[in-house]
Amino acid sequence: MVNDYIHAGIAMLIFPGGLFALATGLLFKGMDRIAVARLQRRVGPPMLQPVFDIIKLSTKEILVPESANETVFKLAPMMGLMGSLVCAALVPIAGVWNGIPGAGDIFVLLYLFSLPALSFILGGSSSSSPFGAIGFSREMVIMFAYEIPLLATLLAVAVRADWQLSLDGIIAYQTANGPFLLDPIMIPAFLAYLMFIPGTMGIGLFDIPEAEEEVIEGPVLEYSGPLLALFNLMSAVKLMVVLNLGVALFFPLLLPGGIWVNLPFHLVKCLALMLVAVSLFRASTGRLRIDQAFNFFLKYPSSLAYVSLLGAYLLR
Amino acid sequence: MHKYLKRFVHKSPWLYRINAGSCNGCDVELATTALIPRYDVERLGCKYCGSPRHADIVLISGPLTTRVKERVLRVYEEIPRPKITVAVGICPISGGVFRDSYSIEGPMDRYIPIDVNVPGCPPRPQAIMEGILKACEIWKKRIVEVA
Repeated sequence: MVNDYIHAGIAMLIFPGGLFALATGLLFKGMDRIAVARLQRRVGPPMLQPVFDIIKLSTKEILVPESANETVFKLAPMMGLMGSLVCAALVPIAGVWNGIPGAGDIFVLLYLFSLPALSFILGGSSSSSPFGAIGFSREMVIMFAYEIPLLATLLAVAVRADWQLSLDGIIAYQTANGPFLLDPIMIPAFLAYLMFIPGTMGIGLFDIPEAEEEVIEGPVLEYSGPLLALFNLMSAVKLMVVLNLGVALFFPLLLPGGIWVNLPFHLVKCLALMLVAVSLFRASTGRLRIDQAFNFFLKYPSSLAYVSLLGAYLLR
Repeated sequence: MHKYLKRFVHKSPWLYRINAGSCNGCDVELATTALIPRYDVERLGCKYCGSPRHADIVLISGPLTTRVKERVLRVYEEIPRPKITVAVGICPISGGVFRDSYSIEGPMDRYIPIDVNVPGCPPRPQAIMEGILKACEIWKKRIVEVA
């Protein structure tokens, strides 16, 4: 019992959540910025730029608007970071980390997944800024829209993996029977997941809640200094969670060899997923209106995920 | 603590533009400095931010007209310390072609402490980038003072 708690504590604070998720998340963010710069034929920032940003922000002053609810305003980014760190600890890495025993359920993950978005909503609404209000209402709408394809995708994977609801079991099924990425029935679900990633990260077409030119960064408009740094860290960890989950659901292929072969291999898989779903997407698309994004998520990724779900159910 | 941090701090200057009644010439020049690949200032870690709360280096253009004065001062107050001010163009320095106009409150440094002046009408992109680099040097000194 006590051992389990220590196990879970290490998972949340050091590996694979905590320090590891923060470090890899920030590095991946830096690589994303370089990749986008190269696609636009620029040189781009140094790879450690997100780290420099965090250090810089930690030396700045915290300003709280006079009419804001100070407690909620200050707690919202912490809540978001905590939520994404717990998420990072729950997603197993194939061949490296099997998840906290009895905790890696896809429904728990689905609930925890909304915490970062919820922290945007709380932060934006407590900041008392009209731009924050517009931003958080947009965040709410897009969150409802992208959770439907996410739920359908997770269910399709679970059904295909012989009704396994734990991520651990899903990975074990795929190591025995081949990854779902090579499975024709699961390809629509993978495409739906590819569209969900930019939706939850708020980039490219779906950079709507934090649109700089329209609502001046929306919910984070009033945040300054260390509180803004917490939001940046949250989005870095969230990026890692989304990538880890994508690899765990569709491509947990193992190489012969121990942890030291499979951990770099896992990171390479995450990087490939990020370059396609985040960097290329961000560099090549503009922004939709919120109603267009809502329709988009309900039409295309949802129907793709439902096709997979139906296929997996019928061909059991 | 700040002694060690200050070595990295100047690598991430976030820029914020204030138009204090400028004719838009300098603003176009600012937009082309950072937003086109040719003079990619993201190399230096620069990023345009929409909100004054996120800003480190403030780029002010324009001669500070009577109408806009109160707003400029208010937006300037919203920026968290330590902040560095760069005046872009000749207008914030002397009023430029608008000097002696009845509707001009400038020069700018009567109201806002200016750290770097980048003269020109409009200044060349290279001059603006040099101004930003000089602002970073000043920032390194100021970070210790604020701490």
